[in-house]
Amino acid sequence: MIHLILIDGSLAAIAAIGFAVISNPSRKAIAVSALLAAIGHGLRFALIHYAMLDISMATFVAASCIGLLSILFARIIHCPAEVFSFPSLLPMIPGLFAYRTILGLIKFMRTADVIKSQGFMLDFVHNGLTTLFILFALVVGVSLPVLFFPKTSFSVTRKY
Amino acid sequence: MFFKQNSMINQTNQKEPNIQEIADLLTDIAAELMTSGAHTMRIIQNISRMAATFGYFIELSVFQQSIMMTITNKEDQLNRLTLIKKTKPLLLNFTIVSDLSSLSWDTFDKNLTFEEIINRFHDIVVQKRMSRWLVLLLVSCANASFCALFKGDIYGVGLVFLATLAGFFTRQEMIKKHINHLIVFSTSAFVASLLAGLGYVFHWGITPEIALASSVLFLIPGVPLINSILDIIEGHVLTGIARLVNASSLIVCIALGLFVSMLILGLEKL
Repeated sequence: MIHLILIDGSLAAIAAIGFAVISNPSRKAIAVSALLAAIGHGLRFALIHYAMLDISMATFVAASCIGLLSILFARIIHCPAEVFSFPSLLPMIPGLFAYRTILGLIKFMRTADVIKSQGFMLDFVHNGLTTLFILFALVVGVSLPVLFFPKTSFSVTRKY
Repeated sequence: MFFKQNSMINQTNQKEPNIQEIADLLTDIAAELMTSGAHTMRIIQNISRMAATFGYFIELSVFQQSIMMTITNKEDQLNRLTLIKKTKPLLLNFTIVSDLSSLSWDTFDKNLTFEEIINRFHDIVVQKRMSRWLVLLLVSCANASFCALFKGDIYGVGLVFLATLAGFFTRQEMIKKHINHLIVFSTSAFVASLLAGLGYVFHWGITPEIALASSVLFLIPGVPLINSILDIIEGHVLTGIARLVNASSLIVCIALGLFVSMLILGLEKL
């Protein structure tokens, strides 16, 4: 159980590093985002598989955990929180669900069979809603701490 | 003549900067923050903090293509100016966001002179980005580990690594030539998924569909998506929706590229 979570976390860390460098943050921020991604994604994996939460709820918990930790780290390395909290969310972006949504839509358009097309429509709505809810869960979760402690989160780059 | 002008410029710089100079600098900084991928709330906070240091207050509207700012003197409210500044297309750079944010605090706390702020702003903007080859390698590793996260087998992971290498290289080359963003995204998605789809054609491994699906995920515009939702939550609905529409049209382009390569490989009946 523990080793599965660890594998999941470290894969997420590699993914976070790769997606972070596209947006060119500082080296310290890359290291922190890898750590946060590992914690967040590992937590989500554990919640889905051992606490039987559904994926959007688990994402919400993981994202708020990332949000809280990111404010802590932001105070330590004097860097706006979103610089490393955004890249650490990227491994949780529901890319596979988005892909299946579009695929469902394409299949629906190309079939003439009524029974089959109902199934494809169901796929499209299910995957599309999952994509949307995960996305909202990610952003609301990560910005909850910012909404609770606005002063702290906007003054982390202050050096005194 | 030239020397005389030069010394005159120096003299004016040592004086208090006038409202035009301040407004130009502040709109430049706001446009740079927008280009680098800061969300609207941060732009407004940073710019108002800097304006307060000079004894002005500002009203700022941020749109996708332009920034509108009215700057007013605190003591003399008739002394005011409205500017519209066009922004450059999005090129994410979080180092700039972070450094400009700390510049705005330094302005506020250390009372930097106008001259010093301009110098530091130029230093921040001209900083070199990370080497593109290192970025290429790291993105490929990231996408390969993404495939592993979705329980793809070892053949899928290898295939996705190569596909991302080719796809991201295509994207870098096309962005260098300033080709339309939508075309860049669909072409890169096409190249990456064409390579990853070979796993299907030659039956490599047992999870070729996961390799195909995750081969294009490096293109998903994650930061604009998060920014758009964050803007909507914080009340900047118009900017948020503009960002959302932009990101969604990129995703549709990725799907288009994917679909074309599936047609070519004969996988459309999946």
